[in-house]
Amino acid sequence: MVMLLSFLEIRNLSFSYNQKRMVLKHVDLAVERGEWIAVLGHNGSGKSTLAKTIVGLLRPAEGTITVDGITLSDETAYDVRRKVGIVFQNPDNQFVGVTVKDDIAFGMENLSVPKEEMLQKIAFYAEKVGMADYLDKEPSALSGGQKQRIAIAGILAMKTDMIIFDEATSMLDPTSRRELMDYIKTLHQEGLTILMITHDIEEALMADRLVVLKDGAVFADDTAEHLFQRPEAFREAYLELPSALRIYYELEAAGDMTPPLATTLWRFGSGK
Amino acid sequence: MKNIVIGQYVPGKGFFYRLDPRTKIIAVVFLMVAVFLLESILQVSIALLVTLFLMILGRISIGRVAKGLRPLFVLLVFTFSFQIFLNREGARLLAQPMNIGLYSLLAVLVITVLWRLLARFKKFKGALFLLWLSGVYALFAFLPAAGPIYKVFDFEIYESGVVTSIFVVVRLLIVISLSTVLTLTTKPTDLTQGLESLLRPLKRLGVNSDDFALIISISLRYIPTILDEANKIMLAQASRGADFNEGKLVEKVKQIVSLLIPMFIIAFKRSEDLADAMESRNFVPGKPRTRIHDLSFGATDLVTAIFTVIVFAGAIVLRVLP
Repeated sequence: MVMLLSFLEIRNLSFSYNQKRMVLKHVDLAVERGEWIAVLGHNGSGKSTLAKTIVGLLRPAEGTITVDGITLSDETAYDVRRKVGIVFQNPDNQFVGVTVKDDIAFGMENLSVPKEEMLQKIAFYAEKVGMADYLDKEPSALSGGQKQRIAIAGILAMKTDMIIFDEATSMLDPTSRRELMDYIKTLHQEGLTILMITHDIEEALMADRLVVLKDGAVFADDTAEHLFQRPEAFREAYLELPSALRIYYELEAAGDMTPPLATTLWRFGSGK
Repeated sequence: MKNIVIGQYVPGKGFFYRLDPRTKIIAVVFLMVAVFLLESILQVSIALLVTLFLMILGRISIGRVAKGLRPLFVLLVFTFSFQIFLNREGARLLAQPMNIGLYSLLAVLVITVLWRLLARFKKFKGALFLLWLSGVYALFAFLPAAGPIYKVFDFEIYESGVVTSIFVVVRLLIVISLSTVLTLTTKPTDLTQGLESLLRPLKRLGVNSDDFALIISISLRYIPTILDEANKIMLAQASRGADFNEGKLVEKVKQIVSLLIPMFIIAFKRSEDLADAMESRNFVPGKPRTRIHDLSFGATDLVTAIFTVIVFAGAIVLRVLP
């Protein structure tokens, strides 16, 4: 019998840094091609570990990861990384090249892409992420958001099918963050598979499906609409509700005694 | 802090900028050897003139090259004095008895203190140094031999000493100028790439020049980032009461430790992150990669090569001929 596999298929994945405490516990997750998944979780819930295991930077203690039919192992890690790229949290620590051009080229150089093709692709993808005027700039002349966009261009140039964003917006200012989110949205519309790791619930809302991790295990895996039906689940997973929902539930809980809306809002604003 | 320039590279256009870094490195090495083959003061003087002429031709500001010489000033002075004082061949040009005694030593101490006090006028640094030097000479030479005298000796300068010292200094000047031209006109990354390409034959001996070049270029890329970080940490520590400028030596060392420890921790974290980023973009150490910058020889390289060969051959001929 032929099993129909999803683009990314994680089965019974467990991981531990030191044998004592399991960071990931029997995680099952399937991501379809073209889907946008957000992985949410409190600090230490194992979300970044999950991202690193998918691209083979960490070796799982147990379980399998299959990407586009390739089962991840030490031998296949190279091929898996041609399909899945990852944008990390710190914009500075993933900028390898001396200039923007060198950085976009880095991945292609590793894949032994011929020079002419590289130059074409660099021009194309730099234009795509809106950094065409910065090709000869050095990283110190770029903002965090610009560096993240260069990281995306470098991955796109490797022709990957999926990008993992490992808290890629958490070190950016609000404007760059919004710009990057808008850009991720465009990529998704163009058919790229996206797995976004975040602890920002508002960002997670843009995804098709939310996967909530709690203490290394999958606590919930559902659409936002369904998840928000049970706000207590968020509290149990040590997450905050989006502010709009928080106000809604608070007002609902107040019931008959509803004070004027303004008073309630003021109480939220002041944190009392 | 943001626009820090690594190395001596100055962006510009001109003959030397168009050269392949490999040509430049090889030419500089051969020209240096050629300069060391020269034997007479006339030959090195001509070589110096040729070097100056070439720099003007390549539109390199002599002032910048002179700036590059500054850190080596001490070396030049040392070589010069070494030769002039210790070489005792040829006709004697000067013989001056020197009295080294308690009074003259005290007097020298006084003018040394004066010189150091005046040293904050940085503009006249060179002139002050020369003034101090002649002062020391005058004190030893002309202060009467009174008081408890320890030693009297003759300060002598010989003809060959003068000639050799000038010869040696001119030769050093040429060698340093040549290497300065190389570093002024070549980006650090191009320099490492040139070196890597030249070291490639070593691969058979197990030296991986590819990885070596990558290590250098990554180090260069992170210098501004890490300096920036040092600045931030210094501010952070200063806001907690650390003072990096004042205090006793022990305190200063303590303050520096408070800067170094966080820097090291962050640098290790950074390198871990970077290794992850590189690996996730399919970097495999030692595996062949294509390059976006490849080096190629052009007409200017040919001209340079021919010039270098002529100069080198000329130097050998001059050396061999009686």
